[in-house]
Amino acid sequence: MSLVHDLFYGFGIAMQPWNLLACFLGVFIGTLVGVLPGIGPVGAMSLLLPITFGISPVTGIIMLAGIYYGSMYGGSTTSILVNIPGEAASVVTCLDGHQMALKGRAGPALGIAAFGSFIAGTLGLIGLMFLANILARVAVIFGPAEYFALMWLGLSLVTYLTQGSVLKGLTMAGLGLFLSLIGQDVITGKVRFAFGLMGLVDGVGLVPLVMGMFGVSEVLLNLENLYEKREVMKTRLRELLPNREDWKRSAAPIGRGTLIGFFLGILPGGGSVISSFVSYATEKKLSKHPEEFGKGAIEGVAGPESANNAASSSGFIPLFSLGIPANVIMALLLGALMIHGLRPGPLLITENPEVFWGTVASMYMGNVMLLVLNLPLIGLWVQILKVPYRTLFPLILLFCFIGAYSISANTFDLYIMLVFGILGYAFRKMGYEPAPLVLAFILGPMLEQNLRQALILSEGSMAVFVTRPLTAAPLLVSLILLLSTILPSLRRKRKEVITEED
Amino acid sequence: MKGRIDTGGFGWVILGSLICFLAWRVRLGTFSEPGPGFIAFGAGSFLCVVGIIMLLSGLVSPASTEERVPWDRLFPRGVRLRLAYTVLLLFLYTMFLDKLGYVIGTFLLMWGLFLNWERPRWVTSMVASLVTVGVTYLVFEVWLHCQLPRGILPLG
Repeated sequence: MSLVHDLFYGFGIAMQPWNLLACFLGVFIGTLVGVLPGIGPVGAMSLLLPITFGISPVTGIIMLAGIYYGSMYGGSTTSILVNIPGEAASVVTCLDGHQMALKGRAGPALGIAAFGSFIAGTLGLIGLMFLANILARVAVIFGPAEYFALMWLGLSLVTYLTQGSVLKGLTMAGLGLFLSLIGQDVITGKVRFAFGLMGLVDGVGLVPLVMGMFGVSEVLLNLENLYEKREVMKTRLRELLPNREDWKRSAAPIGRGTLIGFFLGILPGGGSVISSFVSYATEKKLSKHPEEFGKGAIEGVAGPESANNAASSSGFIPLFSLGIPANVIMALLLGALMIHGLRPGPLLITENPEVFWGTVASMYMGNVMLLVLNLPLIGLWVQILKVPYRTLFPLILLFCFIGAYSISANTFDLYIMLVFGILGYAFRKMGYEPAPLVLAFILGPMLEQNLRQALILSEGSMAVFVTRPLTAAPLLVSLILLLSTILPSLRRKRKEVITEED
Repeated sequence: MKGRIDTGGFGWVILGSLICFLAWRVRLGTFSEPGPGFIAFGAGSFLCVVGIIMLLSGLVSPASTEERVPWDRLFPRGVRLRLAYTVLLLFLYTMFLDKLGYVIGTFLLMWGLFLNWERPRWVTSMVASLVTVGVTYLVFEVWLHCQLPRGILPLG
């Protein structure tokens, strides 16, 4: 009964006018950035992060969370109508979604994507409520060594599952870790690696770094296709509802997609992208007509779209219960929680129930809002898609500048953003993914503090990391993952998992 | 294609060594009392090790050298100019933002960015820039109270 009581308490918070407005704005902006290629949820969230400083923590988190799961909904629209994924988790939807659109079935593809997302998002939330609570109670016994081991595992998984070379992912994680250490040392107070620059005394800012790596670099990449025209498929509202046959074929993929997305979303490094690919591969393997995949099979839209939405709900579990972000977006939310003076971790649910339950309840409402928003507003999203990129990119850049400047009204942050924008562009062109760098940058200070505390407590003994099962197990898994990149057979297997449907 | 040196790996070894040196300078401490440079030293050493593995794999694995993309395909010639122009505009904007202020600085930046290189329409891009500055000023300065730089105009 306590769970129901807590949920009602959450609805009481989420239904306050400001929170309701924040939820609406979040899902609306999320859908918009999901629709627009060239700006993803990470860029949009880092842009709006400074705006949330002036509002209550729960309102800010509700809006930022809305952007995240809203973008999962919106991403399918561009995949289906233009064959351009609005964000990475919708890449796989292009395969069958756009084929359906070419056959004149854009409506049912958009419809099943929206309904599947709604069902999976809602079921994922139920799982979030149960699991986050249980995990938070268990995590109270965790010490610095256990936290260090879990964060190390998260970092290893993100690096392991990153697109392209693991070695490149590892270098990015190492660089991100170093960048996170710039500034004042939390234990001794000594300023390190600032190179005499006043702007670096407090460290490299999270928002300028993320904006540079994901916002500016993305724009620079897209400059290559500046004058490319997009072909947008036409669709009408009355054509959006899937028929009985569509539902019959999609019911099981939605169920399986929800389960796959939910469990992969919890894993550090799992997230929406991997879950949508795994769901597609599963559906293709289980299908009696695998030859239809890639030619407009509705299962290829229903499964992955459900999986990425379920993952976006379950990704909150490690964040709210352990204070460990499962992916870059959760890492940004972690940063937002800390900026608001909250202490993410097992005590968050008991010390700040309004944040946890308010956000969970707002997500239920956000999912309904998205269903209502997505289907009738398809026409609006199509019009937005017609805006040429040469008109959009100056605006995206300007928003990045305003976002980075408004944090501390300091042009030094703009230089940081620009430098990381150019670095991010160069890295991506050379096959280095920015995600491990950003995650290591955010986890870095916590990783350092927990490792140093663990070593001080154990008087320098490394045994603390191998004698306890809760520390030994994650570290062993990390070690196996890292070593596996050297073994050719395991390296091939990893490549298969990541690029199975490319 | 065997036997080529991976310059990327070489770069990471140098960067890793530099980080190790910087970490050593701020004090490494001991295992029982780790200093401010302890983790950074670990990160630097890690980069060195990964860099060495990249170097070695470049020497022994044909796949890793085949994956290399020529410089011209990586950064196509047609894009380089547009890229350099955009980055230069952004740097100039950052340099002069405090002096010129948000309104003038952003207007000039937007004008430069909106300009269509294929069919330059000066008036259209000017009007688009004016609208952008006006709307963003209203939203961020007036409504959201972001402190945008004033510069030479009395507007924030």
